[in-house]
Amino acid sequence: MIRYALTRGALLIAGLLVASVVIFLSLRVFPGDVAQLIAGSEATPTQVQAIREALGLERPLFAQYGDWIGGLFRGDLGVSMLTGASVGEELLQKAQVTVPLGLMAMIIAFVIAVPLGILAALLRGRAGGTAMNVGAQAVAAVPVIWAGMMLVVVFAVWLGWLPAQGFPRAGWAEPWQAVRALLLPALTIGIVEGAMLMRFVRSATLQAASQDFVRTAAAKGLTRTAALVRHGIPAVGLSIITVLGLQVAGIVVGSVVIEQLFTLPGIGRMLVTDVGTRDLVKVQSELLVLTGFVLVIGFLVDLVHHVIDPRQREAA
Amino acid sequence: MLRRSTGLTLLAGIAAAAVILTACTSAPAPSPTATSTGTPDPDATITVGLVLEPTNLDIRRTSGAALEQILIDNIYEGLVTRTQDNEIEPRLASDYTVSPDGLTYSFTLNEGVTFHSGTALTSADVVASFQAVKDDPTLQGNADFAQVATIAAPDAATVEITLTEPNQNFLFALTGPGGLVFQTGDTTDLKTAENGTGPFTLSRWNKGSTITFARNDTYWGEAAGVAEVVFEYIPDFTAGVNAAIDGSLDVLTAVDPNLAPQLEQTGEFVLTTGRTTDKGTLAFNNKKAPLDDIRVREALRLAIDHEALVAAVGAGQTMFGPIPELDPGYEDLSDVISYDVEKAKSLLKEAGHEDLDLTLTIPSFYGTTVPKVLVSDFAKVGVNLEVKSVEFATWLEDVYTNRDYDLSFVLHVEPRDFGNFANPDYYFGYDNPKVQSLYAQALAETDADASAALLAEAARLVSEDHAADWLYNGATITALVPGVAGFPQDSINSRINLQDVTVAAK
Repeated sequence: MIRYALTRGALLIAGLLVASVVIFLSLRVFPGDVAQLIAGSEATPTQVQAIREALGLERPLFAQYGDWIGGLFRGDLGVSMLTGASVGEELLQKAQVTVPLGLMAMIIAFVIAVPLGILAALLRGRAGGTAMNVGAQAVAAVPVIWAGMMLVVVFAVWLGWLPAQGFPRAGWAEPWQAVRALLLPALTIGIVEGAMLMRFVRSATLQAASQDFVRTAAAKGLTRTAALVRHGIPAVGLSIITVLGLQVAGIVVGSVVIEQLFTLPGIGRMLVTDVGTRDLVKVQSELLVLTGFVLVIGFLVDLVHHVIDPRQREAA
Repeated sequence: MLRRSTGLTLLAGIAAAAVILTACTSAPAPSPTATSTGTPDPDATITVGLVLEPTNLDIRRTSGAALEQILIDNIYEGLVTRTQDNEIEPRLASDYTVSPDGLTYSFTLNEGVTFHSGTALTSADVVASFQAVKDDPTLQGNADFAQVATIAAPDAATVEITLTEPNQNFLFALTGPGGLVFQTGDTTDLKTAENGTGPFTLSRWNKGSTITFARNDTYWGEAAGVAEVVFEYIPDFTAGVNAAIDGSLDVLTAVDPNLAPQLEQTGEFVLTTGRTTDKGTLAFNNKKAPLDDIRVREALRLAIDHEALVAAVGAGQTMFGPIPELDPGYEDLSDVISYDVEKAKSLLKEAGHEDLDLTLTIPSFYGTTVPKVLVSDFAKVGVNLEVKSVEFATWLEDVYTNRDYDLSFVLHVEPRDFGNFANPDYYFGYDNPKVQSLYAQALAETDADASAALLAEAARLVSEDHAADWLYNGATITALVPGVAGFPQDSINSRINLQDVTVAAK
């Protein structure tokens, strides 16, 4: 087990290093720079050059990369080229919106997917089951942005129950307002991700139904459904954890779109703005933190899997 | 300076004024409900929805309309400022005089002006601020100070600036970021904090969301009419309208004309249409073939149905030359160009370009309305237009810096920026010595009317050379809830002076 964790951990670190190089270099091929944006379109080339030098954009790429990575090892994510503010601090601040949003979306997805997925599996072959399956497929195919707009139209504009955009100025000091602000965006991501997850739960349940131990249980006198519920579904739990882990990436991507739509001051919206302003140091640190987050979740899922699933343990 | 929003109009204070104004424009007239003009509430907070958030607050070093729009006059002040009509008026100066030769400007400072730090403002602060702009090329406005010879403070209440040659635009330049006055030796980090002299102080900036101002109770002039202003930044037009409808905003600026009817239908808003100096400019790369051929440029202008384009944009008016109505030197130049598809075709044939492929490079935030109209208009004369939508930073690099483009569209919002057509190094690549000479004369002319006449003459030449096409002069639509009074109406995409704004007690 320890050997497995160490090997897997080394892979994680290697993955992060590769990601850092890819992120760093890929941002450099973007046309346009922050110096020109600061100077504006009435500035002379000399003025732009002066700003560029002041920001260190003229230094060799290797030195810029070294500075950045060196800072990361000291736990310093760098400062924004535009505002001089600490990237780490701003990330923490924006995480207060994005992390609760992701958690809420995940919970909603889970609450939708698990019961409906199992029900759809139990109803397989009947009209209800087919309808649920087709419905889930349709919802999963809906673009997040469109789902968000529909929810806004219904719940914010028509019914006026929930705010259409924004986050309370006081943040979590007004917990109820903060939750209200996140409800529509979380529902948007949660419903779409939940539909995907539901289809997975359904097929995993069906697969479990065909497993030997379920058949054995049925042979011992349980009904098929009871056998599935008592013995099959607990086995499904494990694979659901894996898929939920994978969905973290989907939720991060979804938050970029949804924060834009709902004007939420979160990490996704910060990222979009910073790419637009070519605030390179900020963007690369933000991307690396997000990449790291997704990689770490994958790492944890693998570890949990390894601990729980006896077959994997034997294989390793 | 360019602005990233489809410009619309402005706003108005009082419902009655709004009705009259909107009735005079092409914008759909609202049917405002009776507006309560109740007693202003001095403790009120007003929430204003805006599209474009500043990247940082350092107005000395960062360009951008988003920054000027909220900071100038509210937080920072200059010796002079400009009205909604772009007229110059005194601000920190109680009075000013210009010598007959146009070389010496004398300003007398108002009494009792203090910075937000509590320190009193003296002429030494003005001298230090201006000297820095003159000496430091990274400060905004540095180029405007090129002809400044000396900046002096004969006494604590007087500032005297002498120029090496007369410059008709100098006083106007002082209404911009270069003319703002900062405390000498101040160590405030201007990127995130401030120390101005204005009627408001900065209380909080929640990046990506809101900026909050509080009334400065020790303001030297008349105190602001509201206790607090919250600028809510909503980059998506639809989200902005939704926010207004769900009641989270008192004012929404830059309403998309196509979404304005949604706000009107609620019956809860007064919509106003204001004038701007936004010039929807279709730039031609004058130095690059085939656009270096005047026949091709004229043909492209003839192919555009400007009336239809303005209708598609939804607000604003046609313009046929480089100077908008709010700037000196404006003249109706509609006689220069018409909509004539046949003439356009024959000009292209004559120039040997019956089939022409051109690329339009456009920053992505302008949407698709303008490119769509151009593609369809140009197709009628055999010009195939490929639209390349890019991020603003990319536009700055490819088009503005490297001049690597055929056609480009941006909204040039800066007032009095005609000089770009007298600068052969600007990205238009337009080089006409006669225009350059007329512009130089206009700047050197000390009589304002004579100067404007020279500008008008130069502007006509630019239009006759078809140096660019001006697709429309933008208007800006603002939605206000009844009870908000005194909100500025014109030019609000470059200045939102909030001092006189009030909100009726509910």
